Amino acid sequence: MFNLIKMNLYRMTHAVSTWVIAIVTVLYAFLQFGALKLMMDDPLHMFDGGAVSILGMDNVTGVDTVTNFLQNSNVLIIFAVFVVIFANAEQKCGFDKNIIGITQHRWKHTVARWLSAVIGVTALILLGYGIMFGLSALFINHFTLGSVAAIARSFGLMYMGMVAFSAVFFFFTTLFKSSAGGIVASLVISLGILNLIEKLLDLLTKKFISNPRFLPSDFFFDNAYMTFDHAGAGTKAILGFVAICAVYAIISMGASMLLQQRRDVK
Amino acid sequence: MEEYILETDNITKKYGAIIAVDHVSIHLKRGEIYGLIGRNGAGKTTLLKMLAGLAKPTEGSYRIFGESEKKTAKLRDRIGVLVESPGLIPNISAMENMKLQALMLGMNDEAFLLELLHDVGLGNTGKLAVRKFSMGMKQRLGIAIALVGHPDLLLLDEPINGLDPQGIVEIRELIERLSKERHITIMISSHILEELSKIATRYGIIHHGQIIDEFTHQELLRRCSERIELRPSDATRAVTVIEGMGIRDFKVLDNSIIQIFERLDDSGEIVLELAKNNIKTLNIAVKNEALEDYYLSITGGADVARRA
Repeated sequence: MFNLIKMNLYRMTHAVSTWVIAIVTVLYAFLQFGALKLMMDDPLHMFDGGAVSILGMDNVTGVDTVTNFLQNSNVLIIFAVFVVIFANAEQKCGFDKNIIGITQHRWKHTVARWLSAVIGVTALILLGYGIMFGLSALFINHFTLGSVAAIARSFGLMYMGMVAFSAVFFFFTTLFKSSAGGIVASLVISLGILNLIEKLLDLLTKKFISNPRFLPSDFFFDNAYMTFDHAGAGTKAILGFVAICAVYAIISMGASMLLQQRRDVK
Repeated sequence: MEEYILETDNITKKYGAIIAVDHVSIHLKRGEIYGLIGRNGAGKTTLLKMLAGLAKPTEGSYRIFGESEKKTAKLRDRIGVLVESPGLIPNISAMENMKLQALMLGMNDEAFLLELLHDVGLGNTGKLAVRKFSMGMKQRLGIAIALVGHPDLLLLDEPINGLDPQGIVEIRELIERLSKERHITIMISSHILEELSKIATRYGIIHHGQIIDEFTHQELLRRCSERIELRPSDATRAVTVIEGMGIRDFKVLDNSIIQIFERLDDSGEIVLELAKNNIKTLNIAVKNEALEDYYLSITGGADVARRA
């Protein structure tokens, strides 16, 4: 397993796509910093009849930078593209034929590839978030760090979500044996198409059940991630979020491992 | 008892209603170069994929290094594989592709990797990305990657595909060297019998997923050598007559055709001697088949070619 991870990391660091995505992540960090700074320096005035509401921020905290960087559909697309390209590269060029037959348990390839993808996503998050956090701390006048523990908690929870997302994208890539499958899945999630379906299911549920205890959208990971109040959530909500991350990651990886183990290599 | 590096027992692979490999039983002894010959779509690649652990047999079983399929999993790093087109990461160099394989096998011997690259004639490719390689260079790199783990068994699927004549000679010499110097047992597939005849020590002809004939290199030479081929009215009695004439180098096919490999100028005398013993000669000819003609005759390709 360790050798497989070493091989995957070597492949990752030598792939052009990795460095392109690293550059995109850095650009994204700059853009997110720019958006934060704009909201501070030039808040958007919205007129609603006679009233004026201001869409802006009084100050930026460390936790805000986490929200701004990670709880965002754009970053989801970037990391989805990274995971999907990385997961599919060996199969696409046929390199998997050199290595899969040699390994005693084929599922180890899936686990090693996913763990390597997670290492890659972690590096990209640290790179992008580090840049955005640094820029915010340096150039936003009303930046207050706030509680380091709160930042760590928010970051940890959102990071956990990203890891689970990577497993989901990994599964779609394995299932369809193509980058297209994973990319379409990421777009369906990040462009809100899945969210629309969830809302429709919620409406249908409410139509047939009065005051339902749970709504279908409660069980959809994208909804759980995007709407999760990582800064203010209580223990119960945090446990619920961790559980849904774990369930999605375990099911996605379990299914991917099973597919790898049972399928012939084409 | 002979030691078989690889043996299959009625191994079969079905894809829905299509039977790609149909109850194939072959045996490879240590140090052999086994040439698997068949047309495109005959089942060569599917058979090699099963042996390489890339596809699961639908029926039957196989043993590698004397171990059953399940136990074989632990020994798979002793098998080098080049199936279909070489699986290479296109944006990195030959050496980096080799390193990937080495890392997976837990090896870290760059000098050995460079030696392998030199062996296949790619020692001077430096940092050139593999996507810029010719087909022949890619094939050679595929073989080098298959050799990274010091394999005892090498499964090569059409390794001379896309190679120019010089490249074919180099790969042939490399395979012979691997067999002689490193004592690697090699199974090599091709649809070109002529090429395999220069290196293989034993052959299997696969047709519509079935092994329809197996023979040694000596047998191949014999089958393609000049001979008298006769069809007597009674083959059993004819054998007695032929032996009585002092002929020893002959063979009976299907209990009806006799192939005689000596005294090729004495066909008239043989017919007379048979006639004296009341045996009719229904057909007699001196034959000398080219390898490809021989191959076509046993796979029915000649008929196809004629119809076309």
